[in-house]
Amino acid sequence: MTVAVGIEPLVAARGLVAGYPLAHGGRREVLRGLDLALRRGEMVALLGTNGSGKTTLLRTFAGTLAPDGGSVTFDGREIATWRRDALARRIAVLPQQVDLPAGFRVAELVAMGRAPHAQRLFASTADDERAIARALLDADAADLADRPAEELSGGERQRLLVAMALAQEPDLLLLDEPTLHLDLAHQVSLLAAIRRMRDQRGLTVLAVLHDLNLAAAFAPRVAVLDQGRVVADGPPGEVLVPDLVRRVFGVAVDEALTPDGRRHLALRGI
Amino acid sequence: MNPRLRAPLLLSLLSVMLAACAPAASPSASGAVLASPSATPDTTPRFPISLTDDAGRVVTIPVEPTRIISLAPSNTEIVCVLGGCDRLVGVTDFDDYPAQVADVPKVVVATQVDVEKVVAANPQLILAAGNELTPTTVINRLSGLGYPVLVLYPQTLDKLYADIHLVDQALLGRTLGAGNASSVVDALRAREQAVALTVAGAGRPRTFYEVGVFQGTIYTAGADSFLASLISIAGGAPITGDPLSTSIQLEQLVAADPQLILLGDAAYDPTITPQTVAARAGWAGMTAVVDGRVTVVPEDPVITRPGPRIIDGLEALARAIHPELYR
Amino acid sequence: MRAAATTSPRFVARPSLTRAWLVLGGGGALLLLALLAAVAIGSVGVGVGETAAILGRRLLALPLPVTWSPAAETIIFELRLPRVLTAMLVGGGLAMAGTVFQALLRNPMADPYIIGTAAGASLGAIIGILAPVLLPALAVGAGTAWLGLGVVQLFAFAGGIGTVLLVYAVARANGRVPVVTLLLTGYAVSSVLAAGVALLMFLSGRALGAIFGWLMGSLAGASWPSLAFAAPLLAASFGLLLLRWRRLNVLLLGDAQAAHLGVEVEREKLILTMLATLATSAAVAISGTIGFVGLVVPHLLRLATGPDHRLLLPASLLYGAALLTLADLGARLAGGIPVGIVTALLGAPFFIWLLRRSRSLVSGTTQ
Repeated sequence: MTVAVGIEPLVAARGLVAGYPLAHGGRREVLRGLDLALRRGEMVALLGTNGSGKTTLLRTFAGTLAPDGGSVTFDGREIATWRRDALARRIAVLPQQVDLPAGFRVAELVAMGRAPHAQRLFASTADDERAIARALLDADAADLADRPAEELSGGERQRLLVAMALAQEPDLLLLDEPTLHLDLAHQVSLLAAIRRMRDQRGLTVLAVLHDLNLAAAFAPRVAVLDQGRVVADGPPGEVLVPDLVRRVFGVAVDEALTPDGRRHLALRGI
Repeated sequence: MNPRLRAPLLLSLLSVMLAACAPAASPSASGAVLASPSATPDTTPRFPISLTDDAGRVVTIPVEPTRIISLAPSNTEIVCVLGGCDRLVGVTDFDDYPAQVADVPKVVVATQVDVEKVVAANPQLILAAGNELTPTTVINRLSGLGYPVLVLYPQTLDKLYADIHLVDQALLGRTLGAGNASSVVDALRAREQAVALTVAGAGRPRTFYEVGVFQGTIYTAGADSFLASLISIAGGAPITGDPLSTSIQLEQLVAADPQLILLGDAAYDPTITPQTVAARAGWAGMTAVVDGRVTVVPEDPVITRPGPRIIDGLEALARAIHPELYR
Repeated sequence: MRAAATTSPRFVARPSLTRAWLVLGGGGALLLLALLAAVAIGSVGVGVGETAAILGRRLLALPLPVTWSPAAETIIFELRLPRVLTAMLVGGGLAMAGTVFQALLRNPMADPYIIGTAAGASLGAIIGILAPVLLPALAVGAGTAWLGLGVVQLFAFAGGIGTVLLVYAVARANGRVPVVTLLLTGYAVSSVLAAGVALLMFLSGRALGAIFGWLMGSLAGASWPSLAFAAPLLAASFGLLLLRWRRLNVLLLGDAQAAHLGVEVEREKLILTMLATLATSAAVAISGTIGFVGLVVPHLLRLATGPDHRLLLPASLLYGAALLTLADLGARLAGGIPVGIVTALLGAPFFIWLLRRSRSLVSGTTQ
């Protein structure tokens, strides 16, 4: 891997406090003073228990959830000062769930990823066509292009959504559990594709993952969230140690070495 | 509005409206006063003539109208009683009197004014009805196309007499009272006074006139309505309903305790008889029912049509309210 | 790098292009046909050649000799032409507004009236109809027009717009307007207004016929002045809605994903709602609450063209216009019954037949 990682952070949270309104007034803060910065070209896996704030962090980075305290900056500017469409030209999100309307072909849905770049009132431009074609190929979805979206399997659906995000030609890609519902082979091929694109396009990637070993294999840097704060951040070899796993996840694991010398976490029996 | 809720409501209310406009079941027994069109040969027509109609609009009729459209049966009867029947080039499908209007083209079908047919008839005068019987939109539309539209909406006998004079002026361009309207009105007024004289001094029974009962809602003469005034003239004390909806609640009717019930709706619905009325829940105790004074009024079509034959209706009402005076 | 990426095959536009022209061309031809038929046919016969000559003389100022009666000219130019143009505008407006609301509310039962337009406009119109009856002082001014419009149309228009603004404001919480809350609020507010409508109808006496005609929807009142009022409003909303096809498509992906794709979701939903409401209220003001066009036409077209609003919006405009023009012709030939009866009587069975033929319709979404 020979990706130049920048010095300036592309996206950064400082002392970030964020949450949601409660039904009967008041707010429930999910993030409580979180610090995390991603430099250009970095690929970071975000780990943590359910409710630790991973999706909330992604929302504040995407600019769809305003901070209650602290700050989120994108490309050096407070994220709230960005126009929605300008942000969408720079940041793409793969959410956990998307409504896929019936009746569209895959290529038509991927073309919606070009919406923030629209230049002509009714037609698409040559740039759009190029970006869509490239996104379909990069996401291994070119063979799906003419298929109706409602006929896709879970894995194909995920490839479609990745292609839609790539069609945005973003600088920052936020992935919320991209391997959800995927079998092992598809998990690996999807993450490999994302890493390839990061290498080719210089994307900055933040991906919420659950499988610690998959995260370690995929990302050169992992950040672990607990109770709305980053409790560990660094190369997987330094962060993902049995002690931290026990502290954060409350699960006992053993560290083992594979024959070729890579570290692996193994559950200590159930 | 929820269309599923709307349609049944509308239909039931529409049936009320249609029933109120239904054609006469039988032609009236007594004849109308038909005047000769050339009763006053010495008066010269003066057109254009400007007249104020019952909607307060000033209407200018440019030439003597020989092509007239009537948008209500009562208007038709006024035109014909003045001898202008052969000038009619368009009437409604409810028109049934006098018999010769049967051959006149129908420009109002099922209460809908066919504006195209009105225009095609090339009328020189259009006689509309007030109070939305002719919809305001239609009146505005026809006026907007440049036709003189005279709106007639008499609510008392005196207003009706005035309207007969008004139409006479519109037909012949004569100054007030110079046409043959005077003889027509004089005859009608004489009959009205004869009725009043006959019932003078007699008791005034509390009279309930049933216009219709729909979905349990009872419709009668509204307070201060033309119908209520006719009942008064005919020697009854009218029990009236709401001035707007013309409905009365059953308990109000029970409290008012009619001494006489007149079934106007029986003219159209043979299932409404004194027996079925007595069998209605809550009606049996009314004095009129106990005394057997529940009477079918087959003359309802002329009673509720504000044309010259309304005097036939007035006489019929007097006979129904005071049969002892007409023996 | 993959070599294939540089050849950039056209994945998107090609396959649907011919279908798009087929749909739009067919719609345009149908509309033209409907226009000609509806102007030429009526309860009074005017020859086709005469009709064409009258239109040519009045619209194109052709120096044709006048061989027809003044009545024929009035019938063609003052009665039929504004009525047919009104039918086209109203039909197109209702169909387009229905398309927008179905997408926006992600609800297959959505029609242009769903969040209160019909109830508000009806109440406004009925107050307008009854004002001269209830307050005789106003009767003298009943014939007066304002902006070329009667009190009824103005009240109906204001009632429609005002009700939707109220519903929207009530449904708003924490700066968001959830679709379900909007639908339920619309239903609740409509119910209150419908009760007012029913009360006024009960009190209406003779005016019931006028109210009935208005509620069923009728184009009998169409005239050049009412057209001059509604046409600019409808044309403006048509244009602005057509330009928003991308955002409507993106909103189908859900609020969150639409935001990720650059749509200012709450603001956009408000704009789309108000544009569709503007079209609906302007249409309702001059025609009453004509049902079914705004519900069925979007569904039919979604079957034929797919859910892409780039094609769906203009197609709904053309086919909605053609459908209502033909339905109104039917209504006139049937003795002037309210056109809403025709649209429901003919439209509903056709719709049921179509529903049974195609399995995969109804919902705008798979979830």
